[in-house]
Amino acid sequence: MPRVVKSREEFEGEVYESLVLVEGRDLPLLDGGERTEIGHERRRVDGTARVTGRARYTQDVYLPAMLFVRVLRSPYPRARVRRIDTKKAEALAGVRGVLHRFNAPKAAFRGEDTIFREEVRFVGDEVAAVAADDEDTAAEALRLIEVDYELLPHVVDLEEAIGDVAPRLETDGNVAEASTHKRGDVRKAMKEADAVVEATYRTSTQIHNSLETHGAVASWDGEVLTVFESTQHVFGVRQGLKMALKLPFSKIRVVCDYMGGGFGSKGGVGKYSIIASLFAMELGRPARCILTRDEENLAAGNRSATLQQIRIAGKGREITAIEHTSWANVGQGKWVANPTGPTNTLYDVANVSSKSYKVVTNAGALSAFRAPGYVEGTFALECAVDELAERLGIDPIALRRKHAGSPKDPLSGKRYSDKHLLECYRIGAEEIGWRRRRNGGMRGSAPHRHRGLGMATQIWGGGGGPPAYATVHLNPDGTVVLTAGTQDIGTGTRTVLAQICADELGVDLADVHVRIGDTENPYGPISAGSVTLASVGPAVRIAARDAREQLLGAAAGVLETPAGELRIDGGVVVSKGARTPLSEILGKVENNTVIGKGARHPNDPELSQRTFGAHFAEVEVDLRTGEITVEHIVAVHDIGRIVNPLTARSQVEGGVLQALGFALTEERFVDRATGRVMNGNLENYKVPTVKDVPTKITVKFVDRPDRRANNLGVKGLGEPPIIPTAAAIANAVANATGARIRHAPLTRARVLDALAVAEARS
Amino acid sequence: MPQVPSVNGAALRGPGPIDIALTVNGNAVSARVPPRRTLLDTLRESLGLTGSKRVCDEGTCGACTVIVDDRPVYSCMTLAVACEGKRVETIEGLAKDGELHPVQRAFVDADAFQCGFCTPGQIMSIVALLRATPAPSEADVRRAVAGNLCRCGAYPNIVAAGVSAGRRRK
Amino acid sequence: MNAFSYARPTALADALRRLRSGAVALAGGTDLLGLMKDGLVRPDTLVDLTGIEGLRGWSRERGKGLRIGALTPLIELEGNPQLGQLMPILREALRDAATVQLRTMGTVGGNLLQRNRCWYFRDEGTPCWLKGGTRCFAVDGENRYHAIIGARECVMVSPSDLVPALVAYDAEISLASSRGRRHMKLADLFVAPHGRERREHALRPGELITEIRIPEAALARKGTYQKAMDRKAWSFALVSVAAAARIERGVARDVRVVLGGIAPIPWRVAAAEKGLEGSELDEAACADAAERVLAGATPLRDNGYKLTLARELVRRALRSLVAA
Repeated sequence: MPRVVKSREEFEGEVYESLVLVEGRDLPLLDGGERTEIGHERRRVDGTARVTGRARYTQDVYLPAMLFVRVLRSPYPRARVRRIDTKKAEALAGVRGVLHRFNAPKAAFRGEDTIFREEVRFVGDEVAAVAADDEDTAAEALRLIEVDYELLPHVVDLEEAIGDVAPRLETDGNVAEASTHKRGDVRKAMKEADAVVEATYRTSTQIHNSLETHGAVASWDGEVLTVFESTQHVFGVRQGLKMALKLPFSKIRVVCDYMGGGFGSKGGVGKYSIIASLFAMELGRPARCILTRDEENLAAGNRSATLQQIRIAGKGREITAIEHTSWANVGQGKWVANPTGPTNTLYDVANVSSKSYKVVTNAGALSAFRAPGYVEGTFALECAVDELAERLGIDPIALRRKHAGSPKDPLSGKRYSDKHLLECYRIGAEEIGWRRRRNGGMRGSAPHRHRGLGMATQIWGGGGGPPAYATVHLNPDGTVVLTAGTQDIGTGTRTVLAQICADELGVDLADVHVRIGDTENPYGPISAGSVTLASVGPAVRIAARDAREQLLGAAAGVLETPAGELRIDGGVVVSKGARTPLSEILGKVENNTVIGKGARHPNDPELSQRTFGAHFAEVEVDLRTGEITVEHIVAVHDIGRIVNPLTARSQVEGGVLQALGFALTEERFVDRATGRVMNGNLENYKVPTVKDVPTKITVKFVDRPDRRANNLGVKGLGEPPIIPTAAAIANAVANATGARIRHAPLTRARVLDALAVAEARS
Repeated sequence: MPQVPSVNGAALRGPGPIDIALTVNGNAVSARVPPRRTLLDTLRESLGLTGSKRVCDEGTCGACTVIVDDRPVYSCMTLAVACEGKRVETIEGLAKDGELHPVQRAFVDADAFQCGFCTPGQIMSIVALLRATPAPSEADVRRAVAGNLCRCGAYPNIVAAGVSAGRRRK
Repeated sequence: MNAFSYARPTALADALRRLRSGAVALAGGTDLLGLMKDGLVRPDTLVDLTGIEGLRGWSRERGKGLRIGALTPLIELEGNPQLGQLMPILREALRDAATVQLRTMGTVGGNLLQRNRCWYFRDEGTPCWLKGGTRCFAVDGENRYHAIIGARECVMVSPSDLVPALVAYDAEISLASSRGRRHMKLADLFVAPHGRERREHALRPGELITEIRIPEAALARKGTYQKAMDRKAWSFALVSVAAAARIERGVARDVRVVLGGIAPIPWRVAAAEKGLEGSELDEAACADAAERVLAGATPLRDNGYKLTLARELVRRALRSLVAA
């Protein structure tokens, strides 16, 4: 009988308490001995599908008689849609339907009851949609729709929106307090400090630019709506569709077989999913609404630009107080990621005061972007810590060590389930050659090129939690089907779950077939917040154990041997002196299927599950052209047990490279006068190329199971590697040049400006 | 719309759908598409070859890279009609009799992808490189895929895969 | 893209006849298809030039210089070993130009005629001056990539990597239309948009570039191309510099300094070049030349860094001409 217990889970910096259905007992921690699969490098189980072009992404779903949908988007940052004339568009051959605010059914979306708003609030806001026989026709039809807009005053820039003269977009103003934290007596500590650094940091808007744009293909058979969607959460999309379309869950199926990246932005239903569904249901033909690259950059989310003020005080060799105020441009978003999260929790500092403000503007809404808030906040905090270390005249690592070793979360007062941050510092310092670091930097490859070293720390969640389920069933031929409601967003979920299943069950990895990405499967959580492995993995292990025990029972019957004398190894049942392939045993019982099931058990509510890490950077800066070359990044992470070192390393490298874009090149530009995004494309929104990759990236893991986290001792890795890179690079640049650049990305213009300032000062 | 022969010169074709003949992965195929249809969309929509991906659709990402007459091109910036008489190769044509192409195998071995969306384009760029430079250096591979963006950041492994695929073929 | 008709003639005359009646020429398509997808060009008819024989490839006749057919793919200029010996600056300029795929597709003629990359110009929804609107949006807007010198009503910049290199070698071009042929200096092809000249190229309607020529004398020059980007590959130049000179017994003759990415046209200052005539290209002379080339620059809000970059690249380029 299932019972209900309280659980406490962290998700993207926030802690949630929930009720969890639990059945049976959790397994004890996986023992530390050598395993057959867990802890070993394994190629991705879906590798062949991905390298042959056979993997089916949402974009690749073409259904018979499918309609192509294109969306007309507001060219203005703020306007009232007074009238829409679609006559010409509807007259175009091949156009099958047009939806807009005057004819679309009501559909709930993010707290509103329509997807086509009367007042459009950013360039890219949905105004109308056309379904046609082919995409060119749908695109041509958009040009024929006449819209009468009444223009309204707008503001797109963060600092302008905060100011007094900006138009007020909400009745209570553009700025709203989102969260605060206070501990100790900051004012007193500042007064008594030896040194106080006060600085303003800025981070620009970063756009996900997942290579597969957001999109959905919807099909309605009169009974069930099936939506193929590129998503990090099939169940989240189902929930959104239920709200919008008022259909019961039983009539909605959401499928995400493969997806081309999400990085946080594909967490739930989109207007495109609803629009495709409405057309499919109304016109009785499948409908496909997949965003173009431009649309992706306007309306599919972004990492908020921030303005952050930090005052940090030190006395002797310690940090005594931090005051951190952040304003984030959330565009038309309804929430704000919290840049002060790291300030509140990373260091055990007695006096902390932080405030985080949400600022609305007439720009596309934010969405979660890989460690939302923490990437922005860590840039400011970890630069400030270095600035303080310099003022106090002590080594930046020495200063951090004083505050990084605490076994307790300073925010909640709870003990960490596990923590090896000081070990990360030790490994990283060794790998980068920190001993070489000198104030004023080192000589580079030419007299006008200087080298420097820098580092920064990360804290994140990733402990995961319930609910998450898996089933394992055995085919008569001994092959295994593992089913779960999670999805693989490119992190290697299929592979690590297959490893856990094969390891626990005692079968070959090649015999495990993983079925995920479908709401017909048992529930799985959103693939975000670095929770997937730590949530689903333990459930898979329980399901595999359950299947194994049943199997042993079956084998005992077939072999007429007590189950206690049997074990399963490499797909073979081993008894005293005999080896019987699983297929032989299962063949005897034929279609009497062994089905194991597993559910994630709750976390210990008295503990705080966190991941820790540190990145180190060595850079070379051309003092005359402002060009930064990253020579070496060392990434060290404490994330519990590593299931697959190969895919784990890839994930860290990927995080480092996405962070490199945030640190050096990626920045959205919006024209203030027109509200138009000037670089909503991959030409001028500059994601790193292969040539931007640092000369060397060293990835290290502490690789000790977190004994109190879950039955595998694993934690997440999706977000940690993007968090500390930018600050490590900025600190290295400051070390190399003496110039402190407080605005990410560190473009040539900013580097040259800072160098000029530093030169004028010296 | 019927083809309008010009008095003395090349035929003017379109703007409506026209029949075009292509050689794709060694097979003679035909499609009925308007002249404005790109090679990418023709491969994906008319020929069912969805391995080449549409990411930017304006020649800025490389996910649609295919090989035309032994050279890598962006199929999103190529008109299908302009490929008549040329040899087009796509990711679907690489594996023979269920055997992965050495570059495909190297990608799997080196874990040279995460989400996999850029992968077909990356692989086609490296296959084209290997035809001209059978044993490429890291720098050669970097140059060859500098026009293929990877948002997951699999670049280090992509470079390793390219170099090792060259070694394997020797 | 709008719907259009398509023809692929094999004879130049056939193509020119169609161009006269308003058809648009398609070569590599790397720029044109982008403009069409952005809705900036909506042709009724495309004439695909790639079937025309005789406009592809290059040749060199001693004493008569180098001739390059306009349809020669950029990758050929970059990769051909003989050409690399003859005019190494071509490889240097093209190495970091766009990507292998785009250099494979793109042609020399198309590269010279590519439209500018100003994001206001490329945005169909912004009615900028160059497209017939009343004002330039960049001048008071987002202008980190825009001109710091030589601009008038429009602050776009000359985007090509190849053009500064060719201009530094005194390239000439041949043009053909159904009315006949003409020749001009490549440098004269480029127009800084102003007044009634809302265009970037001095091409007449229905005209095509058929050939690029480098005079024999210029082939004796040593040249270099330097480019600054805001990532390490696949970016248009923030600033680029082509420098060339004949080095005779340690002094420079026929010096050329041509900048890309800073002005609406490839930027050259004759007085600065003259000032280097007979110079040993020492630090002082190079720094002085950089000042002269950029005299009168008026950066906008966000592009002052280009001035620093341009000075440094000019200095480096010139110094490298006399480096061992």
